[in-house]
Amino acid sequence: MLFPTLDFAIFFLPVLVLVWTVGQASNEWRKIILLLASWIFYGAWDWRFVLLLIASAAINWSVAQRVHARVEAGETAQPWLGIGVGANLAILGFFKYFGFFLEELAPILARAGVARDLPVIEVILPVGISFFTFQGMSYLIDIARRQTKPASFLDITLLMSFFPHLVAGPIVRASHLVPQFARVPSLTRGMVAASLLLIVWGLFKKAVVASELATGLVDAAFFDPAALSGLDLLAGAYGYAVQIYCDFSAYSDMAVGLAGLLGYRFPRNFDQPYRAASLQDFWRRWHISLSSWLRDYLYISLGGSRGEGRGGVWFVCRNLMITMLLGGFWHGAKWTFLIWGGLHGGVLAIERLWREWRPSAAPFLPKPLAILIIFHIVVAGWIFFRADTLDGALAYFTQLAAWRPGIALTTPLLAGLIAFGLAIHVTPPALMPALARRIAAWPAPVLGLAVAVAVLIIDAMRFEGVAAFIYYQF
Amino acid sequence: MADAFESPVDIAAEVAPTALSGLAQMASAVAIAAFLLLLFNAHALASWADGLAPGPRTAPVNAAAQALAAQTQARGFDGPRAALKSGWDAVKAQRWPRQEAASQR
Repeated sequence: MLFPTLDFAIFFLPVLVLVWTVGQASNEWRKIILLLASWIFYGAWDWRFVLLLIASAAINWSVAQRVHARVEAGETAQPWLGIGVGANLAILGFFKYFGFFLEELAPILARAGVARDLPVIEVILPVGISFFTFQGMSYLIDIARRQTKPASFLDITLLMSFFPHLVAGPIVRASHLVPQFARVPSLTRGMVAASLLLIVWGLFKKAVVASELATGLVDAAFFDPAALSGLDLLAGAYGYAVQIYCDFSAYSDMAVGLAGLLGYRFPRNFDQPYRAASLQDFWRRWHISLSSWLRDYLYISLGGSRGEGRGGVWFVCRNLMITMLLGGFWHGAKWTFLIWGGLHGGVLAIERLWREWRPSAAPFLPKPLAILIIFHIVVAGWIFFRADTLDGALAYFTQLAAWRPGIALTTPLLAGLIAFGLAIHVTPPALMPALARRIAAWPAPVLGLAVAVAVLIIDAMRFEGVAAFIYYQF
Repeated sequence: MADAFESPVDIAAEVAPTALSGLAQMASAVAIAAFLLLLFNAHALASWADGLAPGPRTAPVNAAAQALAAQTQARGFDGPRAALKSGWDAVKAQRWPRQEAASQR
């Protein structure tokens, strides 16, 4: 069930009515309604996934009780924490990486002369597994660090199952949402205005910008780069940068907006990432819930920026590289994702070294130039990220460098959409809140009319049908 | 207690004291939008109903959706969407001069 479909609208409207009628009388019933709705939403892909979700929540709830008891008794919680984190990693590892390791292991065994048949198991990847397992791990670690309190089984199951964020984030932590579950939420006009604005804006970015670029340009460019001109390939690379931003940030916007209409606040997940003047800045703006997760639970656990006595800046660079390589691997078991993570880790390390050893007389890059350089590093990374194989990514770069003349794919509309997707990043950051504040003062009929007109325009511009969000595969 | 993180829905709006509450505002706006879309975009509902697996339960839903689409079309309510779509299709059909020249060759 995809957000920008009538299926989802027909699912969501009754949930909204139930939550604000039955759910107003009892907060427990409100949560039960949301939990059942979330399971129906997730079960629309495959009912077996719901069982996995419940099992995962039960494991995390049960281990969290034990971790908390140990922490409260002043004993070490490490063994139980290890079991809990290990269980989450085992679930993630089996469903996401089992096939990859078997594929990689077979030729190694063959080369070593241990030619044997490896078991062939077709593992179906449950949608959003990377998100809810990371949520489970952060819950356990937060309990051990005394940064959150243990939640009831209902709350932890709802936290992990809550349909707005379930399949593609943002990675909402227990400390974000569980305190909100403790009370009947209220809805302000500002929240309604911002939520509806985010939903409509997300719908436009996904159904019009991302879908048009994907079907008209990017898919063809990455399918057969050898058949295209340099200009088309460059447009394809820029187009993918805009597509993935408009696709993923659209999902986050809609998730935040849908949760907002239900009375819950989700954290921001994107903040105009292509206006970043350093890669470190980019990661403060792109998929913020994942980058802050990696920072808080991986980078800091590795030692973070505390390099004194442990190799100094090289220790910090090592941590950056490990974090980004694992961040790449989180996206999937493919060499292209590892290279993407390695590229980001490498550039982050170079930035760190430059900050450490920069000669005091060295001039600073003008900010627009720095933004341009960082954008192109990110685009180069996206080519690896988008390509199906490593050979495919290298072929893309080779054909781009060969720069054949002509233009076949890139129409004025597609060029305009790329320009639009980049222009979003130079608008004032306070534009959306200012617009939401203005909308909050509108009378309900005007707001209803505006939403209807916006949806009608988007529906007229969109393709028939809608592709799954890119991040559903992770 | 406000949870200590920033959310895009944290909008402190100044509204008239006589204005509808947030909940009433949302309920009214969503109901009006849904009604207007049923009127001006009934085609979408008909397409969705067409995609349902045929059966005794879905047949009345499909028949009602098709009837609504036919009624709204007969009264010209589908005009705005059709005009928007044809305008968008014209924009999509635009080509650069050199692209047109290449395709003519």
